[in-house]
Amino acid sequence: MTKAKTLIEHLEQQGISRRGFLKFCALTTSMMALPPSMAPGVARALETARRPSLIWLSFQECTGCTESLTRSHSPTLENIIFNYLSLDYHHTLQAASGEAAEQARETAMKENHGQYLVAVDGSIPVKDGGVYSTIAGISNLEMLQQTVEGAAAVVAIGTCAAFGGLPRAHPNPTGAVPVQELVRDKPVVNVSGCPPIPVVISGVLAHYLTFGRIPDLDDYGRPLSFFGTSIHDRCYRRPYYNKGLFAETFDDEGARKGWCLYKLGCKGPTTYNACATVKWNQGTSFPIQAGHGCFGCSEPDFWDAGGFYQPLSAGIGSVGGVAAVAVAAGAGAGIAAGLAQQSQRKHAQLQHEKVTVADLKESES
Amino acid sequence: MSVSLERGIQTLKEHIDAPVASFFTTCVHCGMCADACLFYTETKDPKYTPIYKLKPLRRLWHQEYTFWGKLAAKLGFSKPLTAEELKEWEPLVYDSCTMCGRCSMTCPVGNDIVYMIRKMREGMVAAGFAPEGLKSATERAITIGSPMGVKFPALKNQIKHVEADIGLKIPVDVRGAEYMALLSSMEIMNFPEYIGAIAKIFDQADIRWTLASDAFEATNSGIQIGSSDLAAELVERVVAAAERLKVNYVISPECGHAYTALRWEGPNLIGRPYPFKVIHILELLDQLRSQDKLPVTGKIKERLTFHDPCQIVRRGGVIEEPRRLLEMVAEDFAEMEDHGIMNWCCGGGGGVSTNERAATLKLTAFNRKRHQLEALGVNTLVTVCANCRITLEEGLEFNNMDVAVLGLAETLAEHLAEQSPAPTTTQTH
Repeated sequence: MTKAKTLIEHLEQQGISRRGFLKFCALTTSMMALPPSMAPGVARALETARRPSLIWLSFQECTGCTESLTRSHSPTLENIIFNYLSLDYHHTLQAASGEAAEQARETAMKENHGQYLVAVDGSIPVKDGGVYSTIAGISNLEMLQQTVEGAAAVVAIGTCAAFGGLPRAHPNPTGAVPVQELVRDKPVVNVSGCPPIPVVISGVLAHYLTFGRIPDLDDYGRPLSFFGTSIHDRCYRRPYYNKGLFAETFDDEGARKGWCLYKLGCKGPTTYNACATVKWNQGTSFPIQAGHGCFGCSEPDFWDAGGFYQPLSAGIGSVGGVAAVAVAAGAGAGIAAGLAQQSQRKHAQLQHEKVTVADLKESES
Repeated sequence: MSVSLERGIQTLKEHIDAPVASFFTTCVHCGMCADACLFYTETKDPKYTPIYKLKPLRRLWHQEYTFWGKLAAKLGFSKPLTAEELKEWEPLVYDSCTMCGRCSMTCPVGNDIVYMIRKMREGMVAAGFAPEGLKSATERAITIGSPMGVKFPALKNQIKHVEADIGLKIPVDVRGAEYMALLSSMEIMNFPEYIGAIAKIFDQADIRWTLASDAFEATNSGIQIGSSDLAAELVERVVAAAERLKVNYVISPECGHAYTALRWEGPNLIGRPYPFKVIHILELLDQLRSQDKLPVTGKIKERLTFHDPCQIVRRGGVIEEPRRLLEMVAEDFAEMEDHGIMNWCCGGGGGVSTNERAATLKLTAFNRKRHQLEALGVNTLVTVCANCRITLEEGLEFNNMDVAVLGLAETLAEHLAEQSPAPTTTQTH
């Protein structure tokens, strides 16, 4: 088996030069917002790292996240580093099927207990005992609980696994929940996006291999190095926003001149991801560059956060029940106070005494 | 009821409306209004920060109209307003504010500070704390008909001189005229050439106009002292005369507060719409210009500049008209650094020039204009407000500056191209 092989050996076998490997390390280092001096350290760590076991669980998902990782850059280093991991269980990629497949998962769990990584794509239905999605007769919920038990860390890949995504969108018929709502006792990294940027997935894995721990996370559990700034702040169309130059339709002069897409519903200002800097398809482009606003796919509840073409400044409509009551009560109290004050003022007006010349005379000294 | 603290507080309470409440609520205490006020910039005394001039009004609003303020007042944590306090604030509200409105322009949260000063003055009058000069001017305006005590016979006398001077009849009390012109008593007494100027221009442009013997005064001391009751009475006189003479337009003269009073506050003061339109003399002259009815000849060679009267330009919106008119007769027109809506006040508006107590402070504030003029190095200054004009002349004289101050209308009249003498022009005496 290749288990004894280090990454660098594995790469050489694949025809990747040491120079190519170091370039990847430098890129990964900078993407993870580590100081440049760390690049050799990253390289050294990756060179000597042993293949950790990775169990990839696919639940309520569309396989887009796997496609993103395996197809878009192939054959690049992200792909290779992914190959380097001992991918012991993955529906789409593994050769085994049926009982043999489940056996592979159980074997990997037993052999690497406490060491292996779990990657999850897709959300987990919990309504009615989780009957809405099962694999080999085991519900997703049960499989997740079993698998996570001996894991070192969990990486939730894609918005469905990180925040519930499409399955969780209103009215959420299957009671779908994200990984972080079920896994409380293990570190969980959310690599959100629909799909996530490949280099973000590989970056997180590289970070784990290098430092033996997960990277720093933001409030939503996403790696800060990739999700630290908004698309808007890094957008090449930002100067147009600053000048107040907006495309009003997808076919007007502004659209042709490449002006800001804010008024066409771009969610760039509220979306945190690395699209504007890393871009897609080997740095070729990203949605805004292609002329379409950002959907905000890496943010929680993005399906329910108003229309894709609704500008951010437009409200998203209904408020929750409690909020509505609170707003109504607040407005009521405000109106009552306002009326009371108005009557106070009216009272003052009723008591008004006309100012006359005599008044001026009287106050003259 | 006589003037008293209670009456003053009552009046202030009556004038704290929704805008005032929202302004006080949203004030972020940034102090940016200080640098917008010439009384602060020329003295660097923080008490001249515009919003500070409203402190008593703010306290009253807080105590009367906010939950925490009411609670604090009930529990005795905040003291009620006192007569001493209002007396202490009188110079801040009257002497150090020309109601120029520059502070309102710079407020980052859009608070109209001058709107509140106007309201604060309502309470000050009712409490008996208004400057003597303004009180007596207002008394004269109400009882005699003009703040400077000018009665119609005095105007008639000036008209006689003007008629002899220009050889045109000045129409008085002509029913059915298109326009009724108003004057400020400053113009009647100090700058009668204005009357001759508009007469010449109107004659040439074939405009049917008239003066009213019972309402020739445009100045509204009620606005300056800050009493809506008195201001309304003065506006009513103009409205009555315009209705009697059945005119379509009333012309506001080269006077700042007259325009504010008549054009913007008037209908609200009397509580009904006018049956006529109010037009500023500059707007009318600019109309004539665009219709080629204002032919001029010759240009002033000297470099000159224009002083924007606050109430006409910043508060009145008559911004481009004087510039277009001036371009017709000026070869070298230079703008001051801050001009148009961000101009600096002459220092004498809002009743300050009528208030003898404020004389020294007014001259200190004039330094702002002095620096502006010195930076430009001009010897001619054109303006369109008789009150600005007298204040500027005083300031220039005090500082021994050799700058001539001209009114725009008469400057235009001087350059009016003589057309073939109109057949209607006859000597009457």
